Amino acid sequence: MTSSLKALLVDYMAVERMVVSSMLRNFHCEITLAKNGKEAVDMFLEGNEFDIVVCDKDMPIMTGPEAIVKIRAMGATDVKIVGVSADDNAMEAFMGAGADDFVPKPVRPEILQPMVQEVINKKKN
Amino acid sequence: MVPEMGYLDEQFNQLEELQDESSPNFVEEVVALFLKDSPRLLSNIEQTIGKYPQDFYRLDSLVHQLKGSGSSIGAVRMKNECSVFKAHCNDRNLEGCRRSLQKMKREHATLKQKLESYFQLLRQVGPREHAVNSRK
Repeated sequence: MTSSLKALLVDYMAVERMVVSSMLRNFHCEITLAKNGKEAVDMFLEGNEFDIVVCDKDMPIMTGPEAIVKIRAMGATDVKIVGVSADDNAMEAFMGAGADDFVPKPVRPEILQPMVQEVINKKKN
Repeated sequence: MVPEMGYLDEQFNQLEELQDESSPNFVEEVVALFLKDSPRLLSNIEQTIGKYPQDFYRLDSLVHQLKGSGSSIGAVRMKNECSVFKAHCNDRNLEGCRRSLQKMKREHATLKQKLESYFQLLRQVGPREHAVNSRK
């Protein structure tokens, strides 16, 4: 699989950023990191464009769902947003906020890979 | 080794799968990051437990962070104890939180010791001898 997807990874914990970054890198994604929802929203406000956003739920300053609501409200409706969380009740919060998919933590590459591939296929078409 | 002793689950194997020639020390680097961040979280939890009035919301948030990063490296015992702690937070059971914190600290200390021994052994064996994935 070859791609040059632009991925935004949003997670407060450095360990989790490192692990999921490695997975996305293996999927040949170009990765930008954010430590909380506000940093993610600021990325979009600065005019950055992403093909996929992988976003944690519980973060200081601004949560994942809060950020997703703002990102969608900015008109970024095409970007695929995947919520990730160890919280059992997170899926509803993410989908209600406008996420496209949800992956429970710890993130498994075999769960994330088809979601990335879907974006690649869509971009090709 | 550490995985067989029940301290780590299959997530640790996932980390090893992510290690390859372009990142030959990936697993050790991730574990080092966890061992650097987790004492700070444990300390924050301890300080927060000692505060009055009790802030169970903050305690739950801190333990949630520890649970997340622990589960990312496959630290199953720590992850399970974090779940116990969160249940005590939900019940507003301060004494339960205190007991759980002591268990988490013991699990953390044991895990740290075993992981450091594990990586020391890997270094002694040499880079060619342990599982390194070639870039697919």
